[in-house]
Amino acid sequence: MGRVVVLAFVLLAAMPAAAQPVVTSDHVDQVSVTLYRDPSRAEGAMNPNWPGGFALITETRTIAVPAGRAVLRFEGVAQGMLPETAIVTGLPRGVVEKNRDARLLSPASLIDTYLKRRVTIRRTNPETGKVTTSAGVIESGPDDGVLLTTADGVEALRCSGLPEKLSYPGVPADLSPRPTLSVVTDSPSAVTVTVQLSYLAQGFDWSANYVVRVAPDGRTLDLFAWMTVANGGSEGFRGAHTRAVAGGLSRAARAAEDEAPSGSTPALQLRCWPMDITSTHDRWSVERLPLPESGPPDVYEERGDVTIKGRRFMQRIQNVPMAITVMSAPPPPPAPPAMMAQQEDLGDLKLYRIPEPVTVAARSRKQVAMIDRHGVPFEAVYVGQFSSDQRQSASSALILRVQNRWEEHLGLPLPAGGVAVFEPHGDKSLLVGESELADLAVGEEVEFKVGSNSDLRYQVTALPALAPNPLNAGESAAARERPYRITVTNARATPATFEIAIPGPVTATTAPLTERKGGKTWRVSVPANGEATLDVTIRD
Amino acid sequence: MRGRIMLAALVWPAAASAQTAPDPAPAPSAQGDVAVTIYQNGQALVQDVRQLDFPGGRSRQEFPDVSAQIHPETVTLSGPGLGVVEQNFDYDLLSPDKLMEKAVGSVITIVRTNPATGAETREQARVLAANGGIVLQIGSRIEVLRDDGLPVRVVFDKVPDNLRARPTLSVTVQAAQGGHIPTTLTYLTPGMNWTSDYVMLFDEGKSTVDVQGWVTLTNNTGTSYRDANLLLVAGNPNRAMGDFSRLGESRLDAPGTEKSSTRERLGDYYLYPLAERTTVANAQQKQVSFLDVKGAAARRSYEWVNGWLATTDQPRSAASVIKFSTGKSGGLGDQLPAGTIRVYMRDAKGDPQFVGENRIEGTPMGSQMSLRTGEAFDVKGQAVTVERKRLSTSRWRTTMRYDFTNARSASATVDMAQDGLWGDVRIIDQSIVGTRVSADRMEWKVQVPANGKASLTVVFDTRY
Repeated sequence: MGRVVVLAFVLLAAMPAAAQPVVTSDHVDQVSVTLYRDPSRAEGAMNPNWPGGFALITETRTIAVPAGRAVLRFEGVAQGMLPETAIVTGLPRGVVEKNRDARLLSPASLIDTYLKRRVTIRRTNPETGKVTTSAGVIESGPDDGVLLTTADGVEALRCSGLPEKLSYPGVPADLSPRPTLSVVTDSPSAVTVTVQLSYLAQGFDWSANYVVRVAPDGRTLDLFAWMTVANGGSEGFRGAHTRAVAGGLSRAARAAEDEAPSGSTPALQLRCWPMDITSTHDRWSVERLPLPESGPPDVYEERGDVTIKGRRFMQRIQNVPMAITVMSAPPPPPAPPAMMAQQEDLGDLKLYRIPEPVTVAARSRKQVAMIDRHGVPFEAVYVGQFSSDQRQSASSALILRVQNRWEEHLGLPLPAGGVAVFEPHGDKSLLVGESELADLAVGEEVEFKVGSNSDLRYQVTALPALAPNPLNAGESAAARERPYRITVTNARATPATFEIAIPGPVTATTAPLTERKGGKTWRVSVPANGEATLDVTIRD
Repeated sequence: MRGRIMLAALVWPAAASAQTAPDPAPAPSAQGDVAVTIYQNGQALVQDVRQLDFPGGRSRQEFPDVSAQIHPETVTLSGPGLGVVEQNFDYDLLSPDKLMEKAVGSVITIVRTNPATGAETREQARVLAANGGIVLQIGSRIEVLRDDGLPVRVVFDKVPDNLRARPTLSVTVQAAQGGHIPTTLTYLTPGMNWTSDYVMLFDEGKSTVDVQGWVTLTNNTGTSYRDANLLLVAGNPNRAMGDFSRLGESRLDAPGTEKSSTRERLGDYYLYPLAERTTVANAQQKQVSFLDVKGAAARRSYEWVNGWLATTDQPRSAASVIKFSTGKSGGLGDQLPAGTIRVYMRDAKGDPQFVGENRIEGTPMGSQMSLRTGEAFDVKGQAVTVERKRLSTSRWRTTMRYDFTNARSASATVDMAQDGLWGDVRIIDQSIVGTRVSADRMEWKVQVPANGKASLTVVFDTRY
């Protein structure tokens, strides 16, 4: 049950409107997280520090809503929340307004709030340890130092070299420890309701990671995929219903002036007057006397400035060890995975659902199996690239080609991701190639790149140009027909299939060409330890 | 749950001390009856009616709690019987070094603390200079402040009048009669803006959308406006319209001509007054509902555009588009201020999931809208140049084939367009009859069966 704290009497005491009771909800009964990929990443690897994708987070909370107008504060929302996307449903009479306050409680904001108001100054005598307390009014701050009016006169804070500190009578009600979403609601009666809060948040990403294992027979392969989910924020989600959405979503760029006010608060800079002394020039350093009690505060001292600032953020970035290994996904377990993400259609997108609630921890990655297919027949094709001035033979690239069809033991959407291809070698599996896959629908051709192969070498040689075609007399010299000879050699003891795409319109060829991907392609079976040749003429 | 502990630790002492200690609530504002008009270019017009007491004749009034980013040249002050003599905006701010600089030549008190005994001694000192370090005259001695590094407190008598904690607006007025006068202060300030955010729940089965519109306003002025009367002005006073027809943006297919009967207008701008007074706190983003429509008609369509008569080497996904109207019958029935529409659809378990978003410009009522939500995973197209035949030195005959695949279990109609035709390209033959929508663009509707393929072949006569 939610720990509900009613702070009615703290807030809004000075506001002219009738005081609205404040209900704080910090307990999430149930949460679901839907992850979306970084739209600009294409097939590349995820950014481990701050993932560029986003997530739709839907939280169910139980809240006791008082009768009448009340403010509901939602605590523990994700760090990268986009407040304009928040949707709150389940309230008896809906939402009057939604607010997101980025005024945070900090040393600087305390000074700012207590400007011209009474605070307490505590001075500690460095020798005797005696603490003297006096009242003062803050005259200026927090920028460029703090001045106080005391019974003695006007003094600057922390310029005397004595340990001094301010204490405040209370926390201003409009300062919150974290950026907070609150809604104003108007309920006819006091009820306990189940409220759904959903919002988009940045700092998430996901990707498919494919593991292809070639069977020992060399004719089929096993295709396995991990759904890799990344949360780069500081808020974790325990027992979350987790899904991931594949496909290209449109994201609107936010205009600069639409940006939500940021939660960053200025650092409190306790600046003093110039402090050069006789023994220093253009630089001063005054040894601070040790405090008789407790440790030194979190203070930097440099060139006349005493800066107090929160260092938590910096430390968090430096101290958290990050696992960046993505591609070296471990080989899949031999047994079928115990839990598989289920795929369904979501409009024109594909949704993958992890069947059981899982924990998406803060700053973590999680992997769940999403695809596991066996015995998929493949065709090994050696591919060359046409180049008009090739001086020597080049090694071809090996591709494992698969048709994404049900008859071929596949026939399922393949979301974009990295591919690692393993081949058996004795009782071991060796990594033989890494590549990337774009989003591929059912019925499309799938190609896994394995690497270059020097057994199959090819060479494209430009032959002397023919005399201009008398029919085309009058054409410019550039628009000529250019003959080429393509030679492929096979050093393997088995025949091999070789393909090369021929650019431009073909006017003559010694072997039939096939059409692939909208262009002409020479496809040939090169005999074992033999070679194959094509003469082809291309019009420029 | 560290946040909870922190909150409890911070709030409860505050609450406990609330009855006894000074009030921890924000300091009362000097603002009076505030009305804020927010434009969509990041500006706001603030009108603040304050009840002030004036002595008869000339007097100087300070106006605290105005925007920290106020444009002082736009300030006007008016009230019965008040004449403005001069307006000043002072930003000589109070800080320790400013105070010391202003104390040069005058006498301050220094308090030394004996490091051995802790005993305090007080002396009067005259500040001779504050250049890099502080040079003091104490009696007949000349010393540098804290030359020995020992603690010395410096106590000034008072804060000089012309130094202020915040930039301050002051106005010298001539009052015909002294007394209590309602004074109206108006000014422009940057740092406030508003936009709209729409939540659209698309039901593909029923071909309907539920749309909620929220105005989202932000306050970065540094000042909170309490209990203010808010008016939002849609339309843009001085920012050029431009990025409307960019590829990938949502599109206004047919601009509407209906006039909204419910919305107030001011010149060419629509006005959105908020129903009740509200507080716009500093560093706050606030959302207030302004539109809630259920079950408006909408349908899904696919768009695929080819830029030039050339082969694409890979199949490219068609854009997934939602078409709807802002008209009164069968539409949203309102004009839409510029903003972002986020589209949600229900998944197999009935939970709404986000499926894409796009920006719209300010849209008149009665418009036909095409909102691109993203790329279709299962509907793809590829252009292939089948043949390019030379007819003469400047005429070519180009045969293009457009192949579409659909891996969905329902048939799809792709609105296919070929751009880059210019004026002199003619169509010799086409396997599906299309429409030449402009000199540059030709459009066809290609029906792609479920789990199937469809092709369109077009022969162009081009010149260049």
